[in-house]
Amino acid sequence: MKKGLRWKIVLVVAVVVLAVVVSLPLGEKIHLGLDLRGGIHLLMQVVTDDAVIIETNQEILRLQEQMKKRDLVFAAVTNPEIGVILVSGLNPDQEVKVRDVLEDSFREWDTAMGPGRATLTMKPQVAQYLRDQAVNQAVETIRNRVDQFGVAEPTIQRQGGITGDRIIVELPGVDNPDRVKNIIKTTALLEWSLVIAGPAQDEETLLSPYGGQVPEDGRVVKGDPKRRAEGYFLVKKVPTVTGKDLRIVRRGTDEWNNPAVSFSLNPDGARRFETATGENINKLMAIILDDKVQSAPVINSRIQGDGIIQGNFTVEEAEDLVLILKSGALPASMKYLEERTIGPSLGADSIRAGLMASVVALALVIIFMIFYYRLAGINAVVALILNTILVVACLAYFKANLTLPGIAGIILAIGMAVDANVLIFERIKEELALGKSIAASIVTGFKRAFSAIFDSNVTTIISAVFLFQFGTGPIKGYAVTLIIGLVANLFTAVFVSRLIFDLTVSAKARQMSI
Amino acid sequence: MRLFKTPNINFMKYRFIALAFSAAVILAGILNLAFGQGFKFGVDFRGGTLLRILFAQPTSVGAVRQDLRAIGLGEASIQEIEKGGREFQIRTQLPKAEGEADLELEAHEIMANRVIETLASEENAIDRERGLKDLNAIDEKSLAFLLEPVIPEESAAAAEKIARFRKDQGLIRSLDEVERLGLAAEAVAELREKTYLGSLAVLSRETVGPQVGADLRKKATLATIWALVGMLAYITLRFKVAYGVAAILTLAHDVLFTLAVFSFSSRELNLPVVAAVLTIVGFSINDTIVIFDRVRDNLKILRRSPFASILNRSLNEMLSRSIITSGTLFLTVMALFLFGGEVINDFAFTMLVGVIIGSYSTIYLSCPIVLAWQRVFKTQKTPGKK
Repeated sequence: MKKGLRWKIVLVVAVVVLAVVVSLPLGEKIHLGLDLRGGIHLLMQVVTDDAVIIETNQEILRLQEQMKKRDLVFAAVTNPEIGVILVSGLNPDQEVKVRDVLEDSFREWDTAMGPGRATLTMKPQVAQYLRDQAVNQAVETIRNRVDQFGVAEPTIQRQGGITGDRIIVELPGVDNPDRVKNIIKTTALLEWSLVIAGPAQDEETLLSPYGGQVPEDGRVVKGDPKRRAEGYFLVKKVPTVTGKDLRIVRRGTDEWNNPAVSFSLNPDGARRFETATGENINKLMAIILDDKVQSAPVINSRIQGDGIIQGNFTVEEAEDLVLILKSGALPASMKYLEERTIGPSLGADSIRAGLMASVVALALVIIFMIFYYRLAGINAVVALILNTILVVACLAYFKANLTLPGIAGIILAIGMAVDANVLIFERIKEELALGKSIAASIVTGFKRAFSAIFDSNVTTIISAVFLFQFGTGPIKGYAVTLIIGLVANLFTAVFVSRLIFDLTVSAKARQMSI
Repeated sequence: MRLFKTPNINFMKYRFIALAFSAAVILAGILNLAFGQGFKFGVDFRGGTLLRILFAQPTSVGAVRQDLRAIGLGEASIQEIEKGGREFQIRTQLPKAEGEADLELEAHEIMANRVIETLASEENAIDRERGLKDLNAIDEKSLAFLLEPVIPEESAAAAEKIARFRKDQGLIRSLDEVERLGLAAEAVAELREKTYLGSLAVLSRETVGPQVGADLRKKATLATIWALVGMLAYITLRFKVAYGVAAILTLAHDVLFTLAVFSFSSRELNLPVVAAVLTIVGFSINDTIVIFDRVRDNLKILRRSPFASILNRSLNEMLSRSIITSGTLFLTVMALFLFGGEVINDFAFTMLVGVIIGSYSTIYLSCPIVLAWQRVFKTQKTPGKK
């Protein structure tokens, strides 16, 4: 045996062994995509404006405080558009002082002074930071919730880098989409607020004692018809306690043994809660979740740090609410842009169909190659099978998902692998027809066919890369297997196939089976 | 074994006929898009909801449409999928008034829920009102929870058994089937009391909001254009400008031709179809490059022959390879088309068309274009280094 051959054999054997080791056991190492396994794919958008709005509202409060503290006169502080604060009705004599306050204490804002007014615009990098943080926090919160719900191998990914506001969530094997969607989407902003008036049938009746205007310290909240609160409530604008003051949340029961959520507040929250309830006995306290009143029980006595949330919950709903409250509120609201739910039986169907198509395609190709190229055909078949093994190993190694389009990608890569072999064999035949020796024909055949194989594979890889770039889930799966298949092709068709020829065809042979 | 001896067909002679044929098909496609039915965009590109529903009892497209008309969705696209009239694919779209803002995803959701409710039998609605659970929709955890009072020890195992049976069958049609799974009598009795069998199961449900649809349309177009530019650059680098231009024009032809054929089929344009078109681009370029590679070789050997005869000779020499490759590829795609299942059927169909177009265009378009380019610009024949 020639010396060069020995290390080539070692290399090929090593690659095959490595590939097999990496991909076994198949069931564990190959991750099936949602279309084969069933599950939920969600694409959502974080409404990052919310983060800017929340920050702006807090800053408005701080601004009013600072102005009052320094006895600066102003008529109103308004929020004409997102990220802009307008202070109007300033005393012209105090403008310099106002400017000093703004420049000292509001460094995250660009200030512009006009006659009797000041405009604060949030600095772009600050707004950008807030938005970025909101998306990151949302990803964390969603991950928390999904983990607590108990989903195996979830994918939660931010899309589009630092300016991207989209999040992809993929939950394989989940069979109750509505419940999961609800858990993920709920903002979970929980507030306890004292009720000023209500409940009333509609907003007009509610506000008629106040001349149709919402009082300055109040806001109108609607009851959640699914819960125990109907109609409209006028509640205090500043909540007594919020979800941030929660120390312990767990599923409990109310006095009639219905599912409910029981909670304990942290010391600070408990103190505020105690004072508020003590001062407002016989009034209502609204429990508001995401701007909907869940229930508004009567305050019977001074309540310390514990209580329950009632609201006609089913056991599941109560459990979900506990889970959501534990994981904390989302920093901004979410919008669903796309959702795909694949049932498990359709996935099973697709696996059957995909396997069937692959087996038939592979069988057809093998039969044809052996029938047409005889012994050399076996050579090609070995290369094809090796190619498939390599693709599977790469999928296992990179933890890429195998999807149905992915199977199509493998089948098409097999098609390309056949083409590489055909190119080589046809070239060898041509050389043989010219009367060259067998050994020389093999050498020239491979050498001559190589440029065509290389160029065609590279160009196809180029198009597959663009496919990968823009593709969503399943299409990506297709591009990945196709790219891997094509790269593997360069190794198996050119290197391995050649090696087998070198090993099996002796230099002195008179005839070649091709 | 050989298919045939190297033939000597004058391919270049037929180039104008081929050009006329291609132009006619593409023109027909364009006319069809402009004045005819145009593309049917799937939910991926247009937004909307795609439901796959399995009925317990066979029904027909007409009956389904009749039901949907009652809720003003008579225009929904309804397609039957094998399985003896039990499985259907329904695509709904919300009617959009002129100048109205795009509707949010939730609106599509509500619409889809109404479709499912409408198509379910009336008994189902009554059972649901009574607070019973649909055994064909309940998740495994809740099912175990439901069975816990009667079979506390085996509730999880029983729920799993039922879920697996449901996964295999797609839908449970009678509780007798469940009984045969070897469940305790109490469990079956409990199921009879607390659950009902939904007359349909939702196999999959995909809702795409309008924003995503518009995004994808843009991205798909960009991906195709960039892929073409990338390949043009590579071929120009490896061969010469003439070959790059010829390859790209051929590819553009393949894309247009395939889309033209596609526009006459009743299929929907969705993401897998775009993937198929891009794959065709890949295969067609593969075919073209193999020929160009041979032309590159032959130019070195046959310096004195006229360019047209070198092209002809190269095509003839590569003919058996072209037939074998396209043939095997056609076989594999045919396997996908016949056995790959409904989900990738559109993909496989587009590929089938594309494989044929790709082989045809390589022979009758790419080489004639190179020839025309050489004649117009009178450039040297040598196509670059190898």
